[in-house]
Amino acid sequence: MTPPAAPNFADLEMRLVYAHTLSELIARNPDVYCLEADLGKADASIPIVSTRHPANFINCGVQEANMIGVAAGLAREGKIPFCSSFTAFATRRCYDQITISVAYANNNVKIVGTSPGITQGPNGGTHMCFQDLAIMRAMPNMHVYSPADAHELRAVLFHMASTRQPTYLQLIRLKVPPLFPAEVTFDPQRARRLHEGDDVTLVATGYMTRFALDTARGLAAEGIGVDVLHYPSVKPFDQESLLASARRTGAVVTVENQSILGGLGGAVCEVLSEHHPVRVRRLGVPDRFGEVADQDYLFEKHGFGPRHIAQACRELARRRP
Amino acid sequence: MGNEAWTRERLDRLAAEFRYVVTDAICRSGVGHIGGVMSLVEIVITLYFRILNVRPEEPDWPDRDRLILSKGHAGPIVYTALAYKGFFPKSWLCTINRNGTRLPSHMDQTLTPGVEMTAGSLGQGLSCACGMALAAKRDGKGHRVYCIIGDGESNEGQIWEAALFAAHQRLDNLIAICDYNKMQIDGRTAEVLELEPLADKWRAFGWETFEMDGHDWDDIHTTLLRAREVKGRPAMIIAHTVKGKGNRETEGLVDCHNVKIPDEATYRRLMEGLECRFELPY
Repeated sequence: MTPPAAPNFADLEMRLVYAHTLSELIARNPDVYCLEADLGKADASIPIVSTRHPANFINCGVQEANMIGVAAGLAREGKIPFCSSFTAFATRRCYDQITISVAYANNNVKIVGTSPGITQGPNGGTHMCFQDLAIMRAMPNMHVYSPADAHELRAVLFHMASTRQPTYLQLIRLKVPPLFPAEVTFDPQRARRLHEGDDVTLVATGYMTRFALDTARGLAAEGIGVDVLHYPSVKPFDQESLLASARRTGAVVTVENQSILGGLGGAVCEVLSEHHPVRVRRLGVPDRFGEVADQDYLFEKHGFGPRHIAQACRELARRRP
Repeated sequence: MGNEAWTRERLDRLAAEFRYVVTDAICRSGVGHIGGVMSLVEIVITLYFRILNVRPEEPDWPDRDRLILSKGHAGPIVYTALAYKGFFPKSWLCTINRNGTRLPSHMDQTLTPGVEMTAGSLGQGLSCACGMALAAKRDGKGHRVYCIIGDGESNEGQIWEAALFAAHQRLDNLIAICDYNKMQIDGRTAEVLELEPLADKWRAFGWETFEMDGHDWDDIHTTLLRAREVKGRPAMIIAHTVKGKGNRETEGLVDCHNVKIPDEATYRRLMEGLECRFELPY
């Protein structure tokens, strides 16, 4: 029997990329575990991981707090558990459990928050979490990653499985357009410069990165040079790349599929205000809750869609001294 | 140390010494959870000296039995047992709760040799114990995971999440002990949040459930041995205990959860409430 051909990951929904990659990681290292809290079908770990690796698949039922504790115990015994749920339930619902049993105890648990921000769409305000980057970033010992496409997700997952580091991963479940080649690597200390320009810096992460890149390409036709920095790791945060770019452009726009309070925009402002103050515009969700709505509606309502990104870049670029 | 050496007199003497040393150590820091420490003395001594298969000279020995103190605020009694077993020098005990200590008020796996799991935010340790027991099962290991929870702690929803999980996963290598001293910070458990019928609840959750007198050496020892024999389901031992046990100044008092020792007079009163005096090991 020949093994199934390796999937073309760029063509898959990100949740399938997650499940296939986790399955691959378990095949390479039987200490890797997949934990779910009754959303295994939503994450595609059922059936992809559960049938291939039943001994490494643990469905905890609808109990996120217990799942985090079980993961901490597994990690204490040398296992590498990946715990998944919607971003709201993977982070804010069990924030103290993650803080104490994982981060403070420095147990090697990987937390995977799925369907970040507005990609939660049809489930609406109860499920639509805009603060997971901010609250996870505020936790000592915790790394926070938000990859932008299938190949980068795979690189991040391989990194997570091979490092002893409590980590939070934002996982887009949808299919997203490819940005990076299959051989892309991941270094949490490094931002990626996706587009070069001298007029304004545009900083993005996760789901918003492709919109940032498209915007930069469009603005190039208008003669505006946009320097695009993609941060697959929001923590640790690559200060040097940001400062080098801001020194050249003198203005920074941030965009994220999150609240503008405390997430990527917050991280950028912390660095710039201490080391090189320049004009900044933060795009994302203002201090508001989510609702049942589609992407275009939410982009318009909160002002962080492609046209808002372009407009912010034009304004800040034009105001250069 | 074989079991035959553990006469009642010797155990009583060790318990009295533990109470004397741990009370002095807590008093030196000016404040501490004396009540919930004193209710666990006999249980912790029995576990560390007669039940747990551990190697003080090799704290991470893979085949050791694990003990998780989920009611992490009783850390000082486990520290006393670990020091007397030889995990670290007894002289450390006088640093409990002091600046720069490796023996903090609540358990910290990153600081203390022999401490298996960080605990102190109530309700979390039993879940962690489930994960450790599950790892042992998956690895085909024969060691056991013991977890001490509090009665006040049993107010936490996460305890009952773990109760469902452990039974579903048939974790018969997990033995939990509830320190049922019937008091919590704000009053008697019956007044703050009723737990009864507690044993029935654990039975209904699918646990083999025992009850024991948590200050009776024979009852503790035989119940722990019986719990080890349970197959196909986790074991819960409800230990009937007395908060502040063994000190006339604290025994059975609701207000002995976290005791402040602001002055020499309070210190002397607490030390004189104990039945015997011992030479301090620091």
